[in-house]
Amino acid sequence: MSEKKRVLLAMSGGVDSSVAAAILQEQGYDVVGVTMQVWDYSKTECSIEEGNGTCCSSIDVDDARSVADHLGIPFYVINCENEFKQNVIDPFVQSYLKGETPIPCVNCNTYLKFDYLIDKMKELDCDYLATGHYAQIKESPLTGRKSIVTSSDDWKDQTYFLFTLDPSIVEKLMFPVGDWKKPELRAYAEKLGLPVAKKKDSTGICFVGKNDYSKFVEKMAPEETKTLSGDLRLYPGGEVLAQHAGTHKYTYGQRKGLGVSWSEPLYVIKIESDTNTVWLGTEEHLYSSEVKVKNLNLLDDIQDGESLRVKIRFQHRGSDAVVKKTEDGVTLNFVEGQRSVTPGQAAVFYRSNQLVGGGWIQ
Amino acid sequence: MSSKTSIYLDHNATTPVHKELSVQVNELALHWGNPSSVHNHGRGPKQLIRKARQALAKFFNIHPLEIIFTSGGSEANNTAIFSVFDNEWLKNKNYEAEFITTTVEHPSVSKAFDLIESYGATVHRVPVNYDGVFDIDFYKSVLNKNTKLVSVMYANNETGAILPIKQVVGLAKEVNALVHCDGVQALGKVNLDLKSLDVDYCSFSAHKVYSLKGAGALYVKTGTPLNSLIVGGAQERSRRAGTENTLAIASFGQALDLVGDIKTKYDHQENLRNKMETQIEKNIPNCKVLSKSAQRLPNTSNIIFDNIDGESLLMNLDLKGISVSTGAACSSGSSEPSPVLISMGLTRYQAQSSLRVSLGWETTDAEIKYFVETLTEIVSRLRRLKQESAG
Repeated sequence: MSEKKRVLLAMSGGVDSSVAAAILQEQGYDVVGVTMQVWDYSKTECSIEEGNGTCCSSIDVDDARSVADHLGIPFYVINCENEFKQNVIDPFVQSYLKGETPIPCVNCNTYLKFDYLIDKMKELDCDYLATGHYAQIKESPLTGRKSIVTSSDDWKDQTYFLFTLDPSIVEKLMFPVGDWKKPELRAYAEKLGLPVAKKKDSTGICFVGKNDYSKFVEKMAPEETKTLSGDLRLYPGGEVLAQHAGTHKYTYGQRKGLGVSWSEPLYVIKIESDTNTVWLGTEEHLYSSEVKVKNLNLLDDIQDGESLRVKIRFQHRGSDAVVKKTEDGVTLNFVEGQRSVTPGQAAVFYRSNQLVGGGWIQ
Repeated sequence: MSSKTSIYLDHNATTPVHKELSVQVNELALHWGNPSSVHNHGRGPKQLIRKARQALAKFFNIHPLEIIFTSGGSEANNTAIFSVFDNEWLKNKNYEAEFITTTVEHPSVSKAFDLIESYGATVHRVPVNYDGVFDIDFYKSVLNKNTKLVSVMYANNETGAILPIKQVVGLAKEVNALVHCDGVQALGKVNLDLKSLDVDYCSFSAHKVYSLKGAGALYVKTGTPLNSLIVGGAQERSRRAGTENTLAIASFGQALDLVGDIKTKYDHQENLRNKMETQIEKNIPNCKVLSKSAQRLPNTSNIIFDNIDGESLLMNLDLKGISVSTGAACSSGSSEPSPVLISMGLTRYQAQSSLRVSLGWETTDAEIKYFVETLTEIVSRLRRLKQESAG
């Protein structure tokens, strides 16, 4: 009798990774479920809120366990609170303190979901690592090389969060729900009687919950955030419109809650962390066509001057840009000016639907 | 072995329900009346509890009324400690009262002391060293006329090391201090004659002795202070309020009747355990059995495997159908290494590399053989992986 292949599946307690477990089981794999406990809200307060629709509360850990029990697969909780604090929370706070708008999910994927779990996969003698991401692995008919491509469900595609993956692990990865559309997936979860079939989709940043980001940053860095107040200035003239209580309270493109009145709608167009200046400007100043990107990670080679589709934030639909290599990254020249290009977010490159890599917007 | 392999080597966490008892449970459950009721329906259950109390009294060589049934070991431990604390602080206003315990207690003891320490009471914690030896000189140095309670476990749940409870009692009596013993891990593994042990309180848990979960007992020597944690009804002669868990209590009594000859069970477990340790030490380089030179429970083995993550080891064994534990079962899901092992002088890294194997009455030679073979394979694979990723 041939041994079944064993898959380590990262389970979040959400409907996607839960259905992924069922699919892998149907495909004949021996599935081992694992949940990373990364940020525990329940220690100090009793909460029955459904995980803020998140992927890291204790309630979600229980949900993942209940799905694993339902399917009869072994399931383990790995405590990663320290790793999460170090690799996700701390850089998130630092990024805000520098006037950026960070995207912590990428770090979580890089350092926890993949780096850490690939080791666990080997330790537990598994052949593959699977997650509930909306992404697909396709094998090139020419070279036999595997690469990551966008999911069937355009709306849910999560390849944006995967650009930092080490290309050498791609052949070990599986995304069982990558060729599913969300409504069908949910219907299937109900058909299987999975206990999480009706659970809300996760939205926002899991550890921030319903509170706003600035309050979270203040809680984590109470002293530093006191030193971030400064001027709200009008771009490009520089006249001071008002004072603000901290650069961490603003994000690029923000229009509401600026606390100034002006003849035209104003937006945050730039946050200068060395002078704590928040620059406000009219809509036309929101657009830029040249974007500098550093700390690249490439899953495939790119040609200097190649035109690629680039997403500059998760919900961005992608826009064509010419990629020019620089000493420490690339410069992107967009065919159309891009609204609110935000430092701290990632620029992720695609060749057709293939994820090629990406880097961090400066 | 097939994928249906199921080998249980975690008897310090809990034990399987005794086969004979599991047959009797249906019968016992028919007595569903409230034991406090005056009418006919209360009599059956009342009788079951009475019989259980007698079974415990006989087993421990004490008077039946010296037994108070609780929900389990944790409640029994809490009750004993807070009884003395309440008596000294709340009743006698004696804020000079001091308490002594050890650094290797179960959390239901250590956290109770953390709590009374946070109220301002003086608590001394006697260390137990790397080899499981209780520091008797330290104990003597902190024992004084203000000492009101000494709480020392009979045997440690993680290493199986047995503490010198008779010596502890002897010295405590010289200063008129009361002694509480957490006997949870000793029950069913060694002979327990509470009269000759001469402790004032002793805690037990039913599910560690092949019975159901949900019942425990606190032995309280006649004339010793007692304050229930739960107030309300007059159950247990007003010493523990709340309708009794009749089924679990009755089963507890039956389980003790079923223990039979402890010596044979002791020898069986000790022989297997020692054989297992010898095999492991022979097969696997760089491992160390904790407290090996100490007097230990016959069934417990705690082994440190250098350069191995205990959690990974546990999961790998589980995937092969073998249940063991790392640290204490209560600490599963937390990344903190066992405070008990740390207090014994192990590094964090060593403590995270530990595996606790606890055998039972029914553990077989074949099970131990399969366990040792599987363990050897896994440890060598995990070490190879570590080397590869380092190289």
